[in-house]
Amino acid sequence: MSLINPQDSLERQNEKLLQISQALMRRVEQKTEQSGFAYQQFERAALLESEVRERTRDLERTLDLLQDSNARLEQANIETETARSNLTEAIETINEGFALFDQDDRLVLFNSRFCRDLQDVEPQLREGLTFHDYVTSISNSRFLALPDGQTAEDWAQLRLERHREEHVVFNVSLIWDRWLQASEHRTSRNGTVILQTDVTDIIRMERQERDKMRHQEARKLQATLDHLNQGVCIFDHDKTLVGWNKRMDRLLDVGPVRARAKLNFDELMDQFREELTFNASFTAEQLIEWTNRTRTREPIAFEVTRKGDQIYSIFAQEMPDRGFVISLTDVTSERAATRALADVNEKLEMWVEERTAELEEALDEAERANASKSRFVAAASHDLLQPLSAAKLFVSSIVDQTDNADIQHIVAKTETALQGVEAIIEALSDISKLDAGQAVFDIQPISLTEVFNPLRDELAPSARAKGVDFTLVHSGLTVVSDPGYLRRIVQNLLSNAIRYTDTGRVLAGVRRVGDFARIEVWDTGCGIAEHHQETIFQEFKQLRSGGTNSGLGLGLAIVERACKGLRHPLEVWSQPGTGSCFSIMVPVSAPAAQMLAPRQSLPSHTLRDLNGLLVMLVENSRSVAQAIIHLIESSGGEVIWSETAEEALATISEIDLVPDVFLIDYQLGDGMDGIALYDDILDKYGRVPACVISADRTAELRAECKRLDLRLFPKPVNAQRLYAFLSEGVLEPAQ
Amino acid sequence: MTLHSKAPGLEGRAVATQCDILRTGEVRASTTSPVKHLKRQLGDGPFALIALFVTSAVDFHDVVAQAARLFPDTDVLACTTAGEIGTHGYEDGLIVAIGFPAAGFETTSMLIEDVNALDMQATIDRITLERVALQRRTPDYSDSFAFLVVDGLSLSEDTLAATVAPALRDFPIFGGSAGDGTRFDHTYVALNGKVAANAAILTLARSRYRTRVFSLNHLVPGDTQMVVTGADPAHRIVKTINAEPAAREYARLVGKDPDQLDRFTFASHPVVVRIGDTHHVRAIQQVNDRGELVFFSAIDEGMVLTVASPENLSQHLEAKLTELGKPERPAHIIGCDCILRRIEAEQSQQTRAISNVLGAHHVTGFSTYGEQIGPLHVNHTMSGVAFYPTGGTDTCR
Repeated sequence: MSLINPQDSLERQNEKLLQISQALMRRVEQKTEQSGFAYQQFERAALLESEVRERTRDLERTLDLLQDSNARLEQANIETETARSNLTEAIETINEGFALFDQDDRLVLFNSRFCRDLQDVEPQLREGLTFHDYVTSISNSRFLALPDGQTAEDWAQLRLERHREEHVVFNVSLIWDRWLQASEHRTSRNGTVILQTDVTDIIRMERQERDKMRHQEARKLQATLDHLNQGVCIFDHDKTLVGWNKRMDRLLDVGPVRARAKLNFDELMDQFREELTFNASFTAEQLIEWTNRTRTREPIAFEVTRKGDQIYSIFAQEMPDRGFVISLTDVTSERAATRALADVNEKLEMWVEERTAELEEALDEAERANASKSRFVAAASHDLLQPLSAAKLFVSSIVDQTDNADIQHIVAKTETALQGVEAIIEALSDISKLDAGQAVFDIQPISLTEVFNPLRDELAPSARAKGVDFTLVHSGLTVVSDPGYLRRIVQNLLSNAIRYTDTGRVLAGVRRVGDFARIEVWDTGCGIAEHHQETIFQEFKQLRSGGTNSGLGLGLAIVERACKGLRHPLEVWSQPGTGSCFSIMVPVSAPAAQMLAPRQSLPSHTLRDLNGLLVMLVENSRSVAQAIIHLIESSGGEVIWSETAEEALATISEIDLVPDVFLIDYQLGDGMDGIALYDDILDKYGRVPACVISADRTAELRAECKRLDLRLFPKPVNAQRLYAFLSEGVLEPAQ
Repeated sequence: MTLHSKAPGLEGRAVATQCDILRTGEVRASTTSPVKHLKRQLGDGPFALIALFVTSAVDFHDVVAQAARLFPDTDVLACTTAGEIGTHGYEDGLIVAIGFPAAGFETTSMLIEDVNALDMQATIDRITLERVALQRRTPDYSDSFAFLVVDGLSLSEDTLAATVAPALRDFPIFGGSAGDGTRFDHTYVALNGKVAANAAILTLARSRYRTRVFSLNHLVPGDTQMVVTGADPAHRIVKTINAEPAAREYARLVGKDPDQLDRFTFASHPVVVRIGDTHHVRAIQQVNDRGELVFFSAIDEGMVLTVASPENLSQHLEAKLTELGKPERPAHIIGCDCILRRIEAEQSQQTRAISNVLGAHHVTGFSTYGEQIGPLHVNHTMSGVAFYPTGGTDTCR
């Protein structure tokens, strides 16, 4: 509906509109009439309310948003708190110290292990702590072991410089030999994570391992150095001796070098300067200059001579630490060998000549041996010894049966004569053996005193008898030889000298030449012309026959052959009319060699009563049998005598009695020989004391006797020995 | 609809659907010793406050005296009504009682007399002191509201509301003007046995439950406008509109016979003033002998009135109350419902439907000669407060 009533007249309409506009105008002008107050208040309140409502709506929207964001914030807070507690838990489980600094270098988060070892830093840790303050407090911690010469400020400065690097790992030394490894990691938001790991155990273990290895290395190195055949010494960059090997000790002969700590090269050089002779090509000054050089040293090699006869090859080289190593090689022998090599050719030729001569000599010898052999075999026949044996028995029995001094004297001479014969036969036998190469040498240490003293006693009487001055100079040397042959050699030389010296003197003595004892026998005899000097060593050769003690001329032959066999060089010097000198060279025994115990002398020869000992004598030679029977029966024994083995066996079975002792001749005519007989007796009667008497001196017989454990008495039988054997049989009856 | 409420709190509020946040009771006016009955219905106290909405068909003084006797230690406010809203919606001839258990509420009530000659500053000071004291007593309670009951014939509601509201700060205020049926002779308010006219009772309440103050307006302004060219603002009388006698011109504009204007016409053709972007109903009370229009609220010359048309009242009410029940349905609603709405309902035969909606939404209250919401005194609306079982600070027992 319109504001204006269309049914009104225009005037009326106009009037109404005028009134309406007036009312509106009054209203707009807000006339403060008391009557309109209530509505104005309402209007104001409504306007206000409208505004308030508008505001409230905004506020509600804001509140809603706030609430929403509060909820989200709360959720976010919860999540943050959860994440934070998760993170805290997580970093707590880390076995290392953990800390997080934000991009402004302020501490955000850290776990309980962080800085735990730095007890005075730990209480200062709090959120918001700056990295700078953190570093400062660590640098001032009394638990931090500052490197030498570094102040806390220096340390902090270095630490902060490291912090600027992208990724940092380093070790921090704490007191009490503890170590922390700290590492920094940049986060994506430019924060910093610091991890602290306790690496004390690892570092200690590594160090131990390293020490152990170093120790082992050093030992290996030292062992290697010591193994070297060269002397090695090592100098450090200060030219101080820091290492050497055993060889060095010996080469330089400086005594305990090891004891001299901090020995300088120059001191060493001074010490040996005088002993050393340098070559012109490399002088001592050059060497010293080389060691003093500060720029790189080229390796050097040169030779020096020490004390005039030791030559060392020296090699020196720089070490990585600017020290140097010097090695010395003793090349004395190498140099000598080089010189010696030149002589070898010459010597070789000489040796070939000598060897040829030796071979010729050997040929001669063989021929000679052959010739003498046949002669000896003839001389030493069985027939020769048989009568001798009998004669000796007879003679010895005479001494026992008479008190007449004259007769005894004669008998003694007879005995001596017989012994002389026996000696000759033995000498022949020896020569035969030596020539045949059958001699068995018993080489052993022997004191010359033991050889000389008996000979002095033995030969002094004959010299005195001839009015010759006889001197045997004592020697305490011990030599290596066969005692029997050596004695015989010396005896023969001495008796020869005495024999061929009519006036003047015979002198024997020992001269030491190197490892040899030179036994010399001098005489003032007639001498030997040079062309005879070969001959004298042949058997049965005597330059001058006749004389009191003439023999067969076998003495020098034995000497020559025995010396050859024993490899004792034999020399003769002689001048006719002046005298001669025979000498042999005998190797001297090593000083440590045991002195041969003095030989025991045989027990004194006293006859005892055989006291009814029943002796079976089997001997085909009637004269020998009679001599033995006489010997036994005069001592109270009884003898059953058989001429053959068969007869002996028959007699035993006839008398039904086993004699106490058997004396069996080996050669018993055509029948069983002595060994066969004894075999038979062994079979029949078991072991009975027995011995074999024979002129046979073959090895076969000796072997047989040895096999049967039989004593062998060579003919002519020595009465004393036989008696000794028999009395043993009495004292120790057969079992 | 204007909502005055704190923002819903964060989750975690306890739910108390089964508990009696408020106690209600109702007796017919013809009952002897009605307050005794009401007391029985309300059950055991203690109560912070008891409000009585008393039909004009009963001796108001007697009822007030009974109440003062039966509830000697409890604040009891009372007012006469233009009709009651009981358990089953619109009622006539009832005394409706609402008890605020002390376990859930802390209140303070004051009698403001001589509202037509109000000492504004003194009133503001008094309210402020009471409010501050109440707040200090209840630091744990989260929600607050203020309830104003004012003499409906005092012609001073606009000034009173505009004065009181600012003093309340964040206490949202709602209220109703006491009525006298449809007679418009005498309206009274009473507090603790003292009956007064030309007076108001202001109650400040703090609650452990969430509360929400609201105002419903179902009118839609139309195209027809008029200008008040002559008025007696002190008596809310519009003498002329568009320089014509007010009633005749109003009738012409709404298409009615000027001699047939009655309260039903006024209810179905309300007029509103537009202030800012909102409109406020200036309800017409009656046509006086001189053919002038007497209004329920302040008017002035030069005021432009716009004829509004109502939406379907019951549908609108249902929709708005349902909206109020989101996300949580209120356990109780106290409503101050304009007499014009009841008249409109009667005229459009929606009384039953609306009673059902009110009953379903647990609305109790009374029919008013005007409603206060915030600093405004308005007509043809329903203002009120909803109580939600979720404890603002605690759960009920």
